[in-house]
Amino acid sequence: MQRIAFLFALLAIPALAQVDFTGEWAPAYHEDGPERLPGPELGDYMGIPLSDAGRLRADSYDADRISVVTEYQCRPHSSDYGMRGLGNLRVTRDIDLTTQTLQAFHTYMPAWGSVRTIWLDGRPHPPAYAEHTFQGFSTGVWEGNMLTITTTHLKANYLRRNGVASSDKRIVTEHWTRHGDFLTVVVVVEDPVMLTEPLVRSENWYLDPGQKIVPSFCEYAAEVPAPVGSVPHHLPGKNTFLTEVAEWYGLPAEATRGGAKTMYPEYRKTMPKPIRPAPEKCERFCVCTTLADCNLNETVQAPGGAPAPRR
Amino acid sequence: MRSRFCFLTLIAAAALQAQPPGPPQPPRPAKLAAPVDLTGYWVSVISEDWRWRMVTPMKGDFASIPVNAEARKVGATWDPSKDEAAGLQCKAYGAPAIMRAPGRVHITWQDDNTLKIETDEGTQTRLFHFGPPPAQQGGEPTWQGYSAANWERAPRGVENPDPFPIFSVRQGTQGRSLEVLTANLRPGYLRKNGVPYSAAATVNEYYDYHKERNGDEWFTVTTIVRDPQYLTGPWITSSDFKKEPDGSKWDPSPCKAR
Repeated sequence: MQRIAFLFALLAIPALAQVDFTGEWAPAYHEDGPERLPGPELGDYMGIPLSDAGRLRADSYDADRISVVTEYQCRPHSSDYGMRGLGNLRVTRDIDLTTQTLQAFHTYMPAWGSVRTIWLDGRPHPPAYAEHTFQGFSTGVWEGNMLTITTTHLKANYLRRNGVASSDKRIVTEHWTRHGDFLTVVVVVEDPVMLTEPLVRSENWYLDPGQKIVPSFCEYAAEVPAPVGSVPHHLPGKNTFLTEVAEWYGLPAEATRGGAKTMYPEYRKTMPKPIRPAPEKCERFCVCTTLADCNLNETVQAPGGAPAPRR
Repeated sequence: MRSRFCFLTLIAAAALQAQPPGPPQPPRPAKLAAPVDLTGYWVSVISEDWRWRMVTPMKGDFASIPVNAEARKVGATWDPSKDEAAGLQCKAYGAPAIMRAPGRVHITWQDDNTLKIETDEGTQTRLFHFGPPPAQQGGEPTWQGYSAANWERAPRGVENPDPFPIFSVRQGTQGRSLEVLTANLRPGYLRKNGVPYSAAATVNEYYDYHKERNGDEWFTVTTIVRDPQYLTGPWITSSDFKKEPDGSKWDPSPCKAR
């Protein structure tokens, strides 16, 4: 009881809004760990309001593509996917020494050495015909203690790295808030080509000043023999891997195909039955909070019980 | 000389504005002091952790939760039929987990200093108490525990509540988040498949309101669960809720163990 009283006494001192995002941040993979660490399962479009075009595009994906097509191998994560994917983060800032005003934040993420500038000096976005890049053009404004960032001029990239693509027509809004040593970033993707409604996801980091930010290396190499110029793909209706995720986890196949209706609680009332019942115990990626503990073959077993057989 | 004069004039004007402190004023009621309006009906949009939230995960699926070996051992013995027999169907609907459940929340002010969150999923009620904690704390632990709340303040407010005006807060420092700390919890599940939390668990939450380009209103709640018995470190998630025009989709349903 004393402990509870102590906790609430602490809260009597209100937390302070934190405006300074500068520093070294480590990601918390406490949501969708298996997707963001080892990588998503093929055909897993769950939680994404995909359009028919977006789904068709995703279905055509063959994982050999990044092994065969060298142009894809060192393709950076865009600034929106980068916040969801693998990413330690360093944030620095520019202060104008004459006006003493904050001009910009800069972010660095080791994955492909991605560098971004978020302008806070009120400059406009460039005209529509200006160059598109993986990091895009970002401007920010304050709303209370929240930094709201708008990014345009993005190159096409991923919404999920199993072929769920984003188009170069998307506009991304981010909301950054810092609470103590935790950073929360809400990323809102509006993509008129691949999505039917905005995709809203949020990610979390914790301040980790001692972390080592590493340089990025990426070398092109043909990893799988293939005819020159070929692009591995599946033609419409020919991808036989799309139901794997539903079978492994005992999910309705329809739900794994994504779409806005599947993202609302009432979908559970009309959700079809699974293709097959879920295994009795977890068999794949059963822990998975860091790259070190995300073991595909780890099977959890009850004390004294035999592990469930793997299919 | 001229710029020095201007600077001194500015200082003098600021000093005139800085009135001597008067008698202490009672704090404004939290409802009046609210920097954002969180009231209304909101739906959780399941764009994250879909297969751990929209369906009951498999036994032993601890993915994304920093559990220790003891939690894995306990989680591996999960048996929903035992929970049903014991009348413990609400174990996965406690404060550490309820905002991650798929469902709708209805937020209202119960009184000037108490914000109420009702959930249709599991029909739970949470009360966020502003102001000093009651003299008599504790009592029987419950699924929702006791929640103390504050509107997050601007940095410098505590140590220097009356800053010299020309150096007053810069852009981006006005707090407008709702901060909540919950404890005195009845042990339950972080996830419906029996991932345990103990009576020692505490929950920090931060509610942040945002309005999107298409006019949709959202709040995102960052939830930080600490549990020295079952977690190796804080478990941090953030859940996104979209505002609805009314309660027409409100659909109360009881707790389910499976």
